[in-house]
Amino acid sequence: MPLRKTQAVVIGRMALGESDRLVTFYARDCGKVRGVAKGARRPRSRFGSGLELFTQGQLLFFETERSDLARVDSFDILHSFQSVRENLERLMYGSWAVECLGRLSADRDPNPALYGLLLRTLKALETPCRPPRAAFCFALRAVDLLGHRLRLDRCLKCGTPSPFGSKSGRLDFTAGGLVCEPCATYGSDGVDLSGLAVGGLRRLRTLSWDEALRAVLPPALEVEMAGVLEAQMARLIGQVPRTTRFRTQARRALGVNGGSP
Amino acid sequence: MAYYPEPVARLIDALQKLPGIGPKTAQRLTFFLLKRPTEEVTALSEAIARVKAQIVNCSICFNVTEEDPCQICSDPARDARLLCVVEEPNDLLAMERTGQYRGRYHVLLGVLSPLDGIGPEDLRVRELLARLEGQPADEVILATNPNVEGEATAIYLAKLLKSLAPRVTRIARGLPVGGDLEYADEVTLGKALEGRREMG
Ligand SMILES: [Zn+2]
Ligand SMILES: [Zn+2]
Repeated sequence: MPLRKTQAVVIGRMALGESDRLVTFYARDCGKVRGVAKGARRPRSRFGSGLELFTQGQLLFFETERSDLARVDSFDILHSFQSVRENLERLMYGSWAVECLGRLSADRDPNPALYGLLLRTLKALETPCRPPRAAFCFALRAVDLLGHRLRLDRCLKCGTPSPFGSKSGRLDFTAGGLVCEPCATYGSDGVDLSGLAVGGLRRLRTLSWDEALRAVLPPALEVEMAGVLEAQMARLIGQVPRTTRFRTQARRALGVNGGSP
Repeated sequence: MAYYPEPVARLIDALQKLPGIGPKTAQRLTFFLLKRPTEEVTALSEAIARVKAQIVNCSICFNVTEEDPCQICSDPARDARLLCVVEEPNDLLAMERTGQYRGRYHVLLGVLSPLDGIGPEDLRVRELLARLEGQPADEVILATNPNVEGEATAIYLAKLLKSLAPRVTRIARGLPVGGDLEYADEVTLGKALEGRREMG
């Protein structure tokens, strides 16, 4: 059984059997790894609090021959991201990001750039930045890194350069990008998009990570852009993310409202 | 996959729905049961049927009980002004084993979990608020698990309960009794330090 060592972040976890835990990691050198941590739910487990959501650590695991599940040997904390777990707003958006990542990536498909993006997002969530913005910037870059970049520079059908003046366009998910209003097919799989939002999305892509986190955006525009990304994520995953359902309920109960994601 | 007689396949299928039981274990359990004496297996199936027929959730605290309200809710010796909120009936039993708690309980029947899409409307949160409005408590103890889901639930409830209870507390987190300091990870040790208290 080969032993492997890599940096990784915990992106999901569930109880398994009497006292074990099935943990999903996103590893720098291996991509998504699902592994069994024996005895991890016992109070005196050697894993301690290391296997909590968002924890970054040094992962040591064995490949097993019989299944695609690895056996977790150890996971030593490098950074616990505790403050992201202990704030409801940060937890909601951080969970949304790791859910999208977990569902859009295949097992053992290394993507160090995506790992870097995940870490940057968690670090942003630790700062006073607005959590929705961090999640939104994550989504915008993650879809690119996963090969689902939408073309926004021109109409995919007639080639008219965007934005289309005062007219809105339509983001056609099947076509893989923007189509102008005259070319848009009624009822196609996609969402309408204002010229401002097209410009905003293109601008955020070209900004550096820190600039994108700080960029001043009119709230209505940010909500529109975030909604587009939420729709694209739901389309790619095949359903609305579970974390979105959670957020809707939590907001309703606490009497706060706000944009997605 | 081999072909089993229909009743065998049906039992394997049913057992597989239990938590922590995969196809292999379900198969092993089924063949184990086939070898046991009839009265033993009948007793087991009756016990399963009876637990479903006779056990309900207490309409006040949502603990599992034979009579509604449950023994704890109807015990006048239990302090009604002290309320302990737990995730599951199992957690209530664990608290009772300490023999130190004389208040009452509220069982949420779950825990908030963003990644599973389990929100406040899936738990007995509304019932908790209504209960506190009807019968105020001096202190509400949040005894959810010290993991990300339990913590999120505690933070969320603390926000909601602020106006309903004068004192909302969270059970201490930290080192397990009998453990070694040097083996504790930084998060656990940090929590233990945070929850330190005056001695003597
Ligand atoms: Zn066109
Ligand atoms: Zn009761």
